[in-house]
Order: sequence, then structure tokens, then C-alpha cells
Amino acid sequence: MWAMPTVLTLHTTGMAVLVGASWVLDLRLLGINRNVPLSAYRWVFRAVAIGLIVNLITGVLLFMKNATTWGTALPFLAKMAFVVASAATILPIRTYVLNSGAGPNEISGRARMLAVASIVAWTAAVTAGRLLAYLVP
Amino acid sequence: MSSLFVLNAAHLHLVLNHVPTLGMAVGLALLLLALIRRHEVLVHVGLEVLFVIALVTLPVYVTGAAAYAHLRSGADFSDIAARMHQDVALTGFAVTEFAGFVAWVALWQSRRIGRAGRGLVAAATVLSIIALAIMGRAATLGGEIHHPEIRAEGVAPPVVGTNGEKVDVTDQFVAARISRYMVNSTWAWPAAETIHFLGLSLSFGVLLAINLRLLGVMRQVAFADMHRLLPWALLGFGANLITGMLFFVGQPGQYVDSPPFHWKVVFLLIAGANFLYLTVFKKAWADDGFDSRFADKAMAVSSIAAWLIVLYAGRMLPFLGNAF
Repeated sequence: MWAMPTVLTLHTTGMAVLVGASWVLDLRLLGINRNVPLSAYRWVFRAVAIGLIVNLITGVLLFMKNATTWGTALPFLAKMAFVVASAATILPIRTYVLNSGAGPNEISGRARMLAVASIVAWTAAVTAGRLLAYLVP
Repeated sequence: MSSLFVLNAAHLHLVLNHVPTLGMAVGLALLLLALIRRHEVLVHVGLEVLFVIALVTLPVYVTGAAAYAHLRSGADFSDIAARMHQDVALTGFAVTEFAGFVAWVALWQSRRIGRAGRGLVAAATVLSIIALAIMGRAATLGGEIHHPEIRAEGVAPPVVGTNGEKVDVTDQFVAARISRYMVNSTWAWPAAETIHFLGLSLSFGVLLAINLRLLGVMRQVAFADMHRLLPWALLGFGANLITGMLFFVGQPGQYVDSPPFHWKVVFLLIAGANFLYLTVFKKAWADDGFDSRFADKAMAVSSIAAWLIVLYAGRMLPFLGNAF
């Protein structure tokens, strides 16, 4: 009786940490707080890693419960695609942040594009995930 | 989870319902006094009172809806009087929240540049006057629910149309119309849920960053720079307050007796108090190499814990309560 609510709550908490921390860094790359050195944001990657691991485990558990219907459902496949796309933006962003110096940094156009892609992809992933509950029985 | 309510909802509503009127009057008096005496500290206190009133008005509305759900089936209960009270209270709630929001922006700004913008203070003052007027009206209508002897003649809308046909009076009420829309529309509820989840991610992420700074992560970053992020947290929270109220007004029956919902509201108040502390406290601004004091670290831990409990209780609503 407690398993399902607990797994769902952990999945939501993981989402908040993962998506929230990503967005904070994305906002920085887009110019919010530009006088803060990028090196101060290294904690974001640890938070994202923790969120991803928690949500991978809880996500697999949630999928197991609904495998027969979700396995072929378009909203679920779309969500997976968005999650993979979102996670894929993190790697180049990480490389960019780790290679930047300690002072206030100019952000390259490519990094800005990655930040926009990250915000959009996470928004799409959360939207698809939330709508999954309504679109797929 | 068992319910927090030792008193029943109607009793709790009677205790709390003086806050939006009397509390707002106190906040307004402080602001007016501050304007006359040109006293900056008094301005801050007045704005802080407005923010706290905006917080406490949430449980006032919630307990009111709970009282209505419990009392409406009573034989001598006037459904129309209660619905009229609820509609005015809902409008008053919206204006009060907006006044609290403007007050918060003024406080945030004054923490950054030393004094609150005069335009913002004037806007907060005007909004609190409007909120006070609407809440005064809501209080009068609320009193009339159980005191028919003070009910003014002719305020109740007619139940019978001009041609003698019966009219569904519930159609005239804003809360009833919001409820019908939220329940009948195929996309309104899922869309609001989606925004609610996006809002929670934004709020939680930003507050996690700021509180981690207080706990010693990103020590080389000045607290003033973290403080700049606070409006983003409020943006996420604003989206969640609006969508959350759409759920609550849409299906009050799902929430009013739900223990996780009661806990959620209580911890929202704690999280709100934390948020005010993060906005206005001075110590962290003293120098760049700031080492948080124990009290600040305790604040940071309690803030993260309060938001986690809000999130947990919210996610538990369908399981421990009966919400969908």
C-alpha cells in the first residue's frame, strides 16, 4: 500500500532536484547573475546526478507496474525521448562549465543555445510525464 | 497521517477569519504612519506585515471552504448566503495575495538598494486598502450566514426568474463556475497539474541553491548574488498558488478533510516564513566571505525540509486523501 505513493513521491522529489538545479544553471548561462563565476555552479552536476539516479530507479519501478500499457504508448515514448534529450544537454554544459575560469565569464553563443535547449527539453519532459497520468490509463 | 485539526473547521475559520481584516488594518496603519513620519524601518515592518497576512489568508480561505462543506447540509443553513460570502472572500483572497506579492517585491528591492521604491510602497498601500474593503464586505456577508437577524433585505439573488421559472442560482457564483470548468474541461485539470509541476521544479531548484549557499556550498559567491535569484522562486510559487487554488476551488471536497492537505498548508506557512527570512535578513550581507551562523543554517535546513514535506504531502493527496 505504501510502495506506490513512496515511489511516486521520490520520483517527484528527484524531478524537482534534477530539473530545478538544471534550470538554475541554465538561467546563469542565459545571463541571470552574470557576475557569479561559473565555477561556483559545480554543485549543480552533483545534484543532477543524484536526481537522475533516483528517478532512473523509481522510474523503472513505475514502468514495471504499467509496462504493458506504457511500453507502446506514444506519450511515454515521447517522455523518454525528452528525458534523453534533456540529459544529453547536460554533458556539453558540464564540459563548458568545468573548463571555464574563476572570474566572471562571457558565455559563448553555443552555451546559450544549450541552456535554451535544456530549459525547453526539461519542460517538455515534465509536461509529457505529468500528462502520462491522464492520457494513458 | 492524522488530522491536525483539534478544533473543527468552522471553529478554526472563526478564529482565523479576523486576520485578513484586522491584520490588514494593522499593516495598512503601519504603512500610512510610515508615509507620514517618513520612517524607513516602519515601511519595512508594514510590508512584512502585509506579506504575513497574505500567507495566513490561505488557511482562512481553506478553513472557510471546509466549514461550508460540513455545514451546507444543515436544515437552517443558507446556501445562498454562504456562496455570496465565499465569492467575495475569493476576490478578497486574490487581492490580498497580490498585495502580499507587491509588498514582497518592495522588501526584496529594499534589501538590495537600501530602501523600498516609493511606487511599490504606494501600490502595496492602495492594494491593501482595496483588499481591506473587500474583506470587510466578505466578513459582513460571512456574519450574515448564521445571523439572519442582521441580513440586509434584498441582497440574496432571486431563485425564481422573471417568468416564474426556477433559476439555478449556483450559476451566478464565480467559485461555482470555476469548479464546473475545472471538472468538466478535459484539458484544464491536466494543464494546471503540468504547470504545478513545472512551478514546483523552479521554486525548489532556486531555493535549494540559495539554502545550499547558507549551508556552505558555493562559499565564494556573495550572498547578494544568491539573493538575486529569489524572484525566480516566487515566480514558480506564484504559478503554483494560482494552479493550486484552481484545484482547491475546483474540487474543495477532495481537500477539506484530507490530512495531507492540512499538513501541506501548515508547512507552506513555515516555508513562507523561511522565504521572508531569506529575503530580508541582514547578517549574510555583512561580507563576501560570510560564514553562516548556526541560526542561518538551521533556517536553511528547515526551509529545505518544509518544502520537501509540502511536496510529499502534495504528492500523497491521491493516496492518503481522495484527490485525483
